[in-house]
Amino acid sequence: MSLSIALTKGRLEKTTVDMLKECGYGVDGVIHKNRELVIADTVKDIRYFLVKSNDCITYVEHGVADVGIVGKDTLMEGGKDYYEMLDLECGKCRFVVAGLKDKNPLHKVGHITIGTKYPKITQEYFQKKGLDAEIIKIDGSVELSPLLGLCDGIVDITETGTTLRENGLVIYDTVAEVSARVIVNKVSFKMKKKEVMQLLQDLERIVQKNASRNQSE
Amino acid sequence: MKQIQLPSGMHDTLMEDCLKKQELKDRIEAVYASYGYRPIDTPLIEFYSTYASVFPSLKEEELYKFVDQDGMLLALRTDMTLPIARVCATKYANSEPPFRFRYCSSVYKVRKSFAGKRNEVTDCGIELIGLNEASDPEVLTCALDVMEAIGAESSTLEIGNVEFIKKACEEAHLTEEEGHRCADLIDRKSMVELKEYLHTLDLSEDARTFFMRLPWCSGEDALQEAEAVCFAPSLKAILQKMEELQDILNAMGYEGKFQFDLGKAPRLDYYTGIIFEGYVTGVGSGVLSGGRYDALFDKLGRPMPACGFGVKLDLLLDVCSVTVEKEAVVRFPKNKLKEAYQLAKDLRKERLVQLVCGDVEDVEVIL
Repeated sequence: MSLSIALTKGRLEKTTVDMLKECGYGVDGVIHKNRELVIADTVKDIRYFLVKSNDCITYVEHGVADVGIVGKDTLMEGGKDYYEMLDLECGKCRFVVAGLKDKNPLHKVGHITIGTKYPKITQEYFQKKGLDAEIIKIDGSVELSPLLGLCDGIVDITETGTTLRENGLVIYDTVAEVSARVIVNKVSFKMKKKEVMQLLQDLERIVQKNASRNQSE
Repeated sequence: MKQIQLPSGMHDTLMEDCLKKQELKDRIEAVYASYGYRPIDTPLIEFYSTYASVFPSLKEEELYKFVDQDGMLLALRTDMTLPIARVCATKYANSEPPFRFRYCSSVYKVRKSFAGKRNEVTDCGIELIGLNEASDPEVLTCALDVMEAIGAESSTLEIGNVEFIKKACEEAHLTEEEGHRCADLIDRKSMVELKEYLHTLDLSEDARTFFMRLPWCSGEDALQEAEAVCFAPSLKAILQKMEELQDILNAMGYEGKFQFDLGKAPRLDYYTGIIFEGYVTGVGSGVLSGGRYDALFDKLGRPMPACGFGVKLDLLLDVCSVTVEKEAVVRFPKNKLKEAYQLAKDLRKERLVQLVCGDVEDVEVIL
C-alpha cells in the first residue's frame, strides 16, 4: 500500500531528505521541488508533502499522512495522538532557561515571569521544578523580552547559544534536548505495518551509520 | 452580531450523512440484538461528581460542565459506560446479573480548538455486565461481527490485555506511578522516551528488554514475540490465555480478521483485562474500542465484572456507502391540489413521494 510522508519544512528539511536519499529513496523531486505541493517518490510507492512543523502533527493525527518527520520541540508542545517511533538524531538543539546575567529567574524570590513561544513545555518544566511561574506567550525574538523588562527570563530553543549570548543572556538550565523524530499515525501502523516497518528500518540503518561515522571522526 | 456559527467541535449531519448514519446504526444494532442485548437510554446530563469519583484520572478540562438551579456541578456524559453502570447499581440493585445492554447515544468530550476533531460523537455499543473473563470470546465475536457489518473495504480488530503489562510492572517491582508512566510510553510506542525512562529505573536486564520489545509485539506473530521476552511465569500464563482466545476465535472462523498488540495499555486504572480496538482503512483513528473493566462496579458499591465496547458512528460516514432511494415528484397546479394529494397518497404505498405545487398545467409525476 502507498505511504504518505509529511516532511517538515525549514531547519530539518535538508537533513531529513538527505537521509531518505541515503536510504535509496527517490527524493530528487523533493530536493529540486518547484511549486508542487505533493511530490511522488521516483523509486518507492511514497508521496511526500512539505508542511510547517505544527501541521505535521495535525496531518499525522488525522491519518492524512501516515508518517511525519518533525522536531521533538514541536511534539512536546503539541498533541500526543500518534506513535513516536524513531529518533533520527539530527537537527539537534535544546530547550533552555535563560535570563540576564546575575539574575537567574529560577532563584528569584517572588513572582516569576517567563516569556516563551512554548507555553506548554514551560509550564510543565516549572511544574516539575515545583516553581510557580507566570508565562507570557511571545511569538518572535523572545530574547528581547527580558532585555525590555517584560519577563524575568525566557524558555527558548537554541542550537549553539550564540543568539542568546549576543543579546547578553545567560543559560541557567536545560529543559530538554531535542532532535528530529519519526511519528506514525496509529491506524497506519496497523493497516500498513509492512510499509511503515520498512521505512523505519531503512531510516534506522542510516541513523546507526551516521552514529558510527561521528564516532570515528 | 448574529451568532451563526457552531461551537467548536460540533457538526451538523445532513441528508446523505444522516441516512448513512441511520443505516450503520441499523446494521450494527441488528448484530447487538442478535446477541441478546436490550436497548437502554440515559439522560445526557450527569452530576460532575459521578464522573470525578469513578474515573480518578479523568481530565477535568475534557468535560462540558455547567451548574444546575441548586448550584450543583453538572456534566454532559462523556461515555455511556458510566451512566449504564450507574443504572445497574441503582435501578437493577435487586436484579440478578448478567445484564446485556445496548445503546446508541451521543457522548461529549471537549477537545483542543481548531484541531478538526469532533467534540460530539454518536457512540453505538454494548455492555455485558455480571460475567467474568470467561465471556470475553462472546464480546469479541460480537465486535468482530460488527466490524463485518460496517462493511469497510478492509478492517481489523486489534486485541490486547492490560493485565500483561500490569503483571510485568508488578514482577519488575515498579511503583504504581512508574508502572503507569511505563505503560503510557509503551502504549504511545514512544520509543525514545521509553528507552530513556527505563534507564532511570532499577530493572533486571530481562525486564528492560521486555519493556523495550513490548511496543513491537503486535501483528501476526505478536504472541510468539511476546513469549520470547517474557521474564516471569505469571506473564506466560496470561499469554496462554490469549492463545486460548485465539484458538476459539479461529475455530469460529474469524481467522485473519483480528490481531494482537500486547503493547496496548490505555487507562490502566480503568481496564482490567482484554482491551480491543477496531480499525478500518481510510479512518485515521480507531472506530471501535472497548475492554474489560471489572473494577468499575466496586466504586459504585456493587462489585461485578463487566466488559463492553462502542462504535463511533460519525467516523465511519466517509467509508460507508448507502444507496439513497430517489423520491418520485408529483407536480401540480394550485387548482388540482386534491387530485394530486390523492395520487401521492396512492403512490406512497409503493415509493417515496415529494409534492411540489408549481407552474404546470396538469398533475404530472416525475419518477
